[in-house]
Amino acid sequence: MNGAKVEKKALKLGYMPLSDCLPLLVAQQQGFFEQQGLKVELQQEVSWSNIRDKVIVGHLDGAHMLAPMILASSIGLGGLKKSLITAFSMGLNGNALTVSNSLHRELFELNTTEFDQASTMKQLIEQRKAQKLPALVFATVYPYSCHNLQLRDWLASADIDPDKDIDIVILPPSQMVDHLKLQHIDGFFAGAPWNSVAILQGHGHCLITGMEIWQNAPEKVLGVTLEWAEKNPECHHAVIRALYQACAWLEQHAEQALPLLQSHLSLNSPLIDQECLIPAITGEYIFDNNQEKSKAPGTLVFNRSMANFPWLSHGQLICSQMKRWHWLPPSIDSDELVANCYRPDIYRQALASQPLSDEILPENNFLQDHLATL
Amino acid sequence: MKPARVMLVDDTPTRSAILEQALLDQGLIVVCRLESAQGLIKNVEVHQPDIIIMDLESPDRDTLENMTVLNQHNPKPVIMFSDEDDSQIIAQAVQAGVSAYIVDGLNPSRVKPIMDVAIARFREYQALKNELKQTRDQLADRKVIDKAKGLLMKTRGLDEEQAYHAMRKMAMDQSKPIVDIAQNILSVMELLAP
Repeated sequence: MNGAKVEKKALKLGYMPLSDCLPLLVAQQQGFFEQQGLKVELQQEVSWSNIRDKVIVGHLDGAHMLAPMILASSIGLGGLKKSLITAFSMGLNGNALTVSNSLHRELFELNTTEFDQASTMKQLIEQRKAQKLPALVFATVYPYSCHNLQLRDWLASADIDPDKDIDIVILPPSQMVDHLKLQHIDGFFAGAPWNSVAILQGHGHCLITGMEIWQNAPEKVLGVTLEWAEKNPECHHAVIRALYQACAWLEQHAEQALPLLQSHLSLNSPLIDQECLIPAITGEYIFDNNQEKSKAPGTLVFNRSMANFPWLSHGQLICSQMKRWHWLPPSIDSDELVANCYRPDIYRQALASQPLSDEILPENNFLQDHLATL
Repeated sequence: MKPARVMLVDDTPTRSAILEQALLDQGLIVVCRLESAQGLIKNVEVHQPDIIIMDLESPDRDTLENMTVLNQHNPKPVIMFSDEDDSQIIAQAVQAGVSAYIVDGLNPSRVKPIMDVAIARFREYQALKNELKQTRDQLADRKVIDKAKGLLMKTRGLDEEQAYHAMRKMAMDQSKPIVDIAQNILSVMELLAP
């Protein structure tokens, strides 16, 4: 299509083996990258840190990235300082809190109707303190992640101090279920499909989904360095168009994508089968070991509700939450940081000539609803 | 000046043993060698390393990264290459598959020699591994070629040299490696076998 124009044909894009990497897999399998004149190699990575470092040093042209990571790296939090940007959101939602069977039982015994409320968790934590029991341990996937922010937000809604009243540890998503099973942790807040895996294998219960904490929450984005974007604008546009097409395709054919997803996710995780992938992709409820209906652990939104637009308000939401936990130095101007990292202008340029561009491009770069949770 | 204290996290014990020896030869102290992140944070507190060197392909890197945020619990935040000017050494490190976490306080001028040693050893190990793989592949290729040659000799009544030449000609005509031709012969013969 626009093959002759791209500055660089052969691209290497990184991803973590999670359900929300699907837009990349689909764009490759359905030939959407190729139609844009790109020859893309997808590279599976083992850690978010690797994704960030490889993008920063240029071993990857771009990657499936945690939205808060873009902001954190741009000011040098947690690693090398390098301006990263995103002009494409790979989708919304997908996260959930799954707790061990024993914690679930304790919460249920404390309050049968509101066992899934943060207030019941608070009550249990106070009770455990009085009994001099060790603090509960919750795992999440990366310090600068929406997972961590959503978990902390939920805990804080019942006056639980996530830095003092519980322990938060970081584990790779693929290790969550094993650690839960071995009772190293009492719960985890992770993305699809790991909540479903824990539930279906009978090691835990989904207590609350990310959607219940932040409605249509930002999650993964396409991350590139500012330097790369400035050097390869047409190429960046082409990637965005291919991914947009993949997300729109997924909205219609989610079920068809299950075997593709399974083949990539099961490469390094024997726990993955197609059944555990279904809930996040199709929204179908699953049943736990006692044949009781479980919460759908966070259905992914790939394209509808303007899910792919890099809303400045999503950046603002993440920034304000990072400020809340004193992760951002007070000298940082949030508006400026968001404006540097979130680039709706690039998204608009990439998709301006698409059919129905009126419908896929919002009027404003900001949506007040995103900040309603604050 | 006290020698720097190094902690190694690598699930490949052979490689970390090689690196440990190289670091000891430089007069550094290797305080601890771990094969996984199990007990990582506790070990950092106990051993108080100045620098942590970790296999880039370890899924446990994210666990260690959390220590950069956990400064309330740990007085020594760990940051990988805090200086933007280090970008060249970082690119080299990523290429070689090494990541490093420098505990606040260690002078950057003391980091570079340590990283140079780690990068060199990781590269060396990779080269060794590649060489071993190449040798193994060659041996495996050799076996396939010999088997196909034997089969041709038996079914076509050729001598060894004729059989080999037949395969080599086919390889040249089809511009394919001879091992592929041998593999094809074996597959076809198997298919036709009574």
